Amino acid sequence: MSELRISSIETRGVPGKKRYAMVIDLRRCIGCMACQVACKAEFDVPLGVFRTWVPYKVVGKYPTVRKMFMPRLCNHCDDPPCVRSCPVEATYKVEDGGFVLQRYERCIGCKACMASCPYNARFMLPRHRSYTNITSVVDKCTFCHHRVSQGMVPACVQTCVGRSRIFGDLNDPGSEVSYLVNTLPTQVLRPEEGTKPHVFYIGADRNHTEIGRTIYDPSDVMNAERVMFEKNQRS
Amino acid sequence: MLEMTRRTFLKISAGTTAAAVAVPKVLHAMENELGGKDFSPVTLAERLAIPTNCHVCNIQDGAIAFVENGRIVKLEGNPEHVSTRGRLCAKGNSGMWYTYDPDRILYPLKRVGARGEGKWKRISWDEALAEVAQKLDAAIKEDPNTICMKYGRNRSGGVIDRFMNTLGSATVINHTSVCESSKKIGMEPTWGPDIETPDFANAKYILNFGSNIMEAAYFHNPYSQRITEGVAENNAKLVTFDVRLSNTAGRSDEWIPVFPGTDGAVALAIGHVILRENLQDTDFIDTWCNVSTAELKAHYKQFTPEWASGLSGVPAETIERVAREFALTKPATTYTYRGPAKHLYGSYNEKATMMLSIMTGNVEKRGGYCMPRGMGWPQPQPEPPKPAHPSAMAHPHEYPLAGHKVSHLLPYFIAEGRQKINVHFSYQDNAVYTNPGAQAYWGKLYRDEKLIPYYVALTPFMGEEAALADLILPDCPYLERWEPESMPNSLWPWLGIRQPVIKSLGESRENRIMMRDIIWKMDPDGKRGMKQYWNFKDGEDYMRQHFDNVPGLKEAGGLDFLKKHGVWPIYGKLNPRTGKISDRTGREIVPEYGLHMKELSASDMTGTSVDGKGTIMKNGKAIGVRRNGKNYVGFPTGNRLINIRVDEWAKYGFNPMPTFKQIPWHKDMKDDEMVLTTYKINVHKQARTASVKWLAEIMHSNPVWMNTETGAKLGVKTGDLVRIESTVGHMVTKAYVFEGIHPKVVAIPTAFGHWEYGRLATLKLKEKEAGEFGATDDADLNNVWWEDKGVHPNAIIPTVVDPIGGSQGWYDTVVKVTKAGPNDKYGDVEGSWEKHLVAAKETMRYAYNGDLHRKMHPEMASWAGPASVKPGEGGGHH
Repeated sequence: MSELRISSIETRGVPGKKRYAMVIDLRRCIGCMACQVACKAEFDVPLGVFRTWVPYKVVGKYPTVRKMFMPRLCNHCDDPPCVRSCPVEATYKVEDGGFVLQRYERCIGCKACMASCPYNARFMLPRHRSYTNITSVVDKCTFCHHRVSQGMVPACVQTCVGRSRIFGDLNDPGSEVSYLVNTLPTQVLRPEEGTKPHVFYIGADRNHTEIGRTIYDPSDVMNAERVMFEKNQRS
Repeated sequence: MLEMTRRTFLKISAGTTAAAVAVPKVLHAMENELGGKDFSPVTLAERLAIPTNCHVCNIQDGAIAFVENGRIVKLEGNPEHVSTRGRLCAKGNSGMWYTYDPDRILYPLKRVGARGEGKWKRISWDEALAEVAQKLDAAIKEDPNTICMKYGRNRSGGVIDRFMNTLGSATVINHTSVCESSKKIGMEPTWGPDIETPDFANAKYILNFGSNIMEAAYFHNPYSQRITEGVAENNAKLVTFDVRLSNTAGRSDEWIPVFPGTDGAVALAIGHVILRENLQDTDFIDTWCNVSTAELKAHYKQFTPEWASGLSGVPAETIERVAREFALTKPATTYTYRGPAKHLYGSYNEKATMMLSIMTGNVEKRGGYCMPRGMGWPQPQPEPPKPAHPSAMAHPHEYPLAGHKVSHLLPYFIAEGRQKINVHFSYQDNAVYTNPGAQAYWGKLYRDEKLIPYYVALTPFMGEEAALADLILPDCPYLERWEPESMPNSLWPWLGIRQPVIKSLGESRENRIMMRDIIWKMDPDGKRGMKQYWNFKDGEDYMRQHFDNVPGLKEAGGLDFLKKHGVWPIYGKLNPRTGKISDRTGREIVPEYGLHMKELSASDMTGTSVDGKGTIMKNGKAIGVRRNGKNYVGFPTGNRLINIRVDEWAKYGFNPMPTFKQIPWHKDMKDDEMVLTTYKINVHKQARTASVKWLAEIMHSNPVWMNTETGAKLGVKTGDLVRIESTVGHMVTKAYVFEGIHPKVVAIPTAFGHWEYGRLATLKLKEKEAGEFGATDDADLNNVWWEDKGVHPNAIIPTVVDPIGGSQGWYDTVVKVTKAGPNDKYGDVEGSWEKHLVAAKETMRYAYNGDLHRKMHPEMASWAGPASVKPGEGGGHH
């Protein structure tokens, strides 16, 4: 293994271990928002917070104008800053598969993980939910660990109308994700952070990969979220 | 040591065929399954999966509902469904919120206080039925046609017609004229079907005229799947003509902005270039069309690119380039939806666009422009006879070709006293919101007890229409109903079923039960002969009468098969590696092409005669065409050919050949005037999704789009208030100034600015408690973070009627846009009943018997005039 391994739980090329990844083919994303809503349903995600979201940007000048969509979610990093920054080990990485998950019962809601995530993929659950009683702790995308571990793709992949989201095991050379990552140019978000993401983009234009990240810009949006959160705690 | 060369390897393996190990095989990966199962993320327990058919909109995807502790928590596409292939759009994914809407109506409500005042009394079903029965009895005594049914989305599979036929009334008003009717009428007389089913996945070139297929339109989800396949896997080029940057335009290889209503001119000019440069499929035209290539060439001479460019603003060289690309890239297909069709002469536009697929011979080819494939089902017997007398409102005599009716003229007809109404029903229809004029016009009509003395809304929601009712009967949302389904949303025909996923909530009753109960109340002992048509135990029993005798399905298990799988037939398995349907050998399934080239069998041919043109006649009906010695079934038209020349149009003084008519009031638009268009977006449908929280969260307001250049001219920036004024009213809304729209167009999406439809749609969550009509609260609504509900534009859009197809001209409204004044408030909407009536009267001048018809058709000077056509003769869709 010539590649530098930076995390003890990294499973790149480790026999018998799965290394799940998502490929998002932006040529195929039509911005239909099915993924975002399927995710809301799968986890009873409350209003105001998202495990995955699809921002867009209009680029160009009339009449040469295009619309870019940029689906976002937790990158399930090999070296996740959130895991390192959690003071109570509420956030951890599952070795077989590479899922970055949250133990709700340990979370103290300090938001250190939210601040450390370069992808703004984490959020605080509000007090009110429709029918799930896990509230007021940090939550995030799980790569649908509960589905994937039972042989299904994540909910967002399942419903992806353009088949823009493809999910599978990168350690399996015959998988579709391996085929795509190995044969087409792919990009990851913020490679300079050294996080080793497991979400790969096809057709991402580096001029536009930051779009929509600010949905959880700590300085800005998290404050609004805090106001909302506190309001909800009162009501 | 034996050196293993390829030759020796082959020799060894040839001798050991039994040892399969010797043949190296690329192993397929273990991919995770694409659907069919779901688990609780909290308990990991498997959720109960029940197949059904989506019905948030009318795409009709196969769906699976997942139930946890008796609650519908998740919806997915049905992986066994050949069109849907396991996927649903954003709307389909959130359909359970129809069931769990905290403002849903769960028992019958009777109005107390004035109409529209919002005061209701809960009454029992028995009281409600008795009241309706008594009103219906009185109406029937006077004239059954005084009972009016206005439906919007009717997927009851024949129940509503059965109900109205049982009552003996022909006054059935649909919604098609505000939807797509001129597209249908543009196509039907030409080639038979009312829609095309392009083979996008295998096309190399897709020419899209004004369809926003990646967000809405028929058939959003299945077609978007195939278009992305075509573009990403087959390198198809997607070119979109549209007045604004829809998601479809924004994801096309090329977006070509076009002035509203001129798509038809562009299409004719593209045809001109194809024929001028001899790039057409002469053989196809001369074999299958009622006009020869030579005649077509002569006819298209007039439609030069320069002419079309002057009308549309599309450069002539772009028209020429697209023409060559389209004609020289095979296979190719056109696609349209409402863009070309929803105009004064929308039928002409639609026909002009479909001509491109016809003249290039792309019809019924792999990767081309195919006919829809559908399936039907028998109706329970006996069936009531058709009403004795036609309704002057359902089929207005001014529009003999508008086979899908002219529903949006209803207020005008009622106001002018064309037909008296005693009892008015609405079913899954919010005309007060969705139609031109909206609250100013339809709202006034529904409020007026002289014009509509008694109004019953069949709906689970307090929509803008229901709020004006005298009685509300709580229908079930789609996840609690039985309904048969079939839609040509891919190249494989199918039958599907909507079945209740949970027991219907509260006292709600699905359409067929509610209508049966009304009839049973009117005819309790069957003496009036009405009850015999409503002879079923429950919804399931009714479905059994539909499905247990469909050949093929019957052998597979009939209704029981559908209850288990949701759809029939099952063409294969959803391949997790490709997202496509694979057959038993693992190969992708292939549809049948060339339906028109199916040959008639010897038994089909017995007793036929063949005329000089090759038309094969049997019992006075054309059943096929003979070409090159073969007997083909041809196209489902009266002469089994593609009718480029539609003779029945000429009968009424319309141009039977492909043509274009500029909208007269677009000719002399002043500098400060623009065209207002409306549109649908990816996460909402027209009127019934504003109360669905996940969709409202994504989009809840609708600023008016305008081009940067226009904004600079008006001194308007994004977020500024603007005043938009039409001939019938005005509105004040916020501006969104950007690059993605034609500078002479402003665009506002519908689905927003509700004044009824519950607390979320109206953002009155704090003003009223949840569950006013019996439903359970949703704690998540405490998290609603948006404070803008948008503004609805329909009150300022006048009625326009396509004199051929009957369509509303949604995209024809000329408006003046200015920066808002000191007295203008965000959300102001004002429209005038009188002005809307004037607009309706004005647009009827374009009808075949109106005074502007001849003026618009100088080329039809030899037409003998309206008196030359006998009433009821020819025309229309039968």
